[in-house]
Amino acid sequence: MKTSELEAGWFPAGLQNYVLPKTAGRVMIFDNDIALWRGEDGKIRAWENRCPHRGMRLSYGIVRGNTLTCLYHGWTYDGAGACAGIPAHPELTPPKTIRAKAYRAADSGGFIWVANPDETTEAPSIEGDWVPNRSVHIDLAPTSLNELIKGMDAELALKITDRAAVVRVPGVTGEILLAFLNMKEHGAMIHTSIPASASVDAAIAVSKLTGRLRQIFKASSAA
Amino acid sequence: MKLFDYVLSGNCYKIRLLLDFLELSHEKQAVDFFPGREHKSDAFLQINPLGQIPVLEDDGAYIRDAQAILVYLASRYDPTGTWWPINDPSELGRVAQWLAFADSITSTASAARLHDVLGYDLDVAQARAGAHKLFRVLDDHLANQELQGFNWIAGSNPTVADIACFPYVALAGDGGIELFYYPAIQRWIRRFVKLPRFKLMPGINIFD
Repeated sequence: MKTSELEAGWFPAGLQNYVLPKTAGRVMIFDNDIALWRGEDGKIRAWENRCPHRGMRLSYGIVRGNTLTCLYHGWTYDGAGACAGIPAHPELTPPKTIRAKAYRAADSGGFIWVANPDETTEAPSIEGDWVPNRSVHIDLAPTSLNELIKGMDAELALKITDRAAVVRVPGVTGEILLAFLNMKEHGAMIHTSIPASASVDAAIAVSKLTGRLRQIFKASSAA
Repeated sequence: MKLFDYVLSGNCYKIRLLLDFLELSHEKQAVDFFPGREHKSDAFLQINPLGQIPVLEDDGAYIRDAQAILVYLASRYDPTGTWWPINDPSELGRVAQWLAFADSITSTASAARLHDVLGYDLDVAQARAGAHKLFRVLDDHLANQELQGFNWIAGSNPTVADIACFPYVALAGDGGIELFYYPAIQRWIRRFVKLPRFKLMPGINIFD
């Protein structure tokens, strides 16, 4: 039986602009399928990616105001995960037991971070003003943060978590916030943020460096 | 003007999109692609010997091939000259280079969808792998366009290149091709559905 529990700590689930206000998106954290969404309030939410009604992926859902409506039968959930309306029973006040399973979620350093509902620490706070740079899919997850840093020919400046660090790359101006997300059979995502003051040239350089990681972390059979 | 059309065809959808964007009055003739295989009938082979849809009839002539029809419609009927920038050779090159790319998307991502949705007998693993290779190229390109302040494939405004690539990218999930690997592609899809006069087709469930 799958528990839908994450490992302890905060996971870099994507760049902040992966989920824009009034949209929903899908992310895998190891083998946990998670719906990310923002209401018009801009607040990021992370829920188990299944509607309590029929199991439809909530990442297909429609955001209206600060509610998420399942695409399948229109069950609507408020920002905290409680069912707020069932179209087939318009007179019914949904029982309080109908809830989407919510994880903790936060924006920081240009990233979206997700943790278990009972995570006791706060999401990483990274000094400075960071903007999202690039997300790249790779076939094989790095076995460690060190392996990722080595793959990028980078130098560690500050470890943030077991999956994220501030690094410097010789020849590239400014620091890079670098993280990886293991998606088990789906490979992994690499995410980078850069200082808000970085130039367009620096942004492109970091994006291309990030893209090159595909060649480092590829399946041995891949061309 | 008449479009030989099938509602579930992404290639026909490309033409429907541009007809709507340019607000061109036209009629549609439904072709029973599945299960009728009307596009392979003797009568239809007289219209297009390749047995493919879409086909556009205009001014007494038949034009086949989705990309060719887009180029024709935009060249002839787009008063702004932006969808197919015929007067700017360097921009035209930037647009045109994605048309063959769009055809490659059809032979990979669309093939995987035909396998999964309509039961076509083909090597779906190869089709999906081919689509992922192309999607990486497109995601790289769109991500670097965004970092330079450009929202679209060829620059600051949408062109025929965006229309040609859009349907089978947006429908890729129907062929078992995950789009959460490609955040820049997902943002581009969100921008596309916000274009004035955009209409959804069945299978594309992205609501503004």
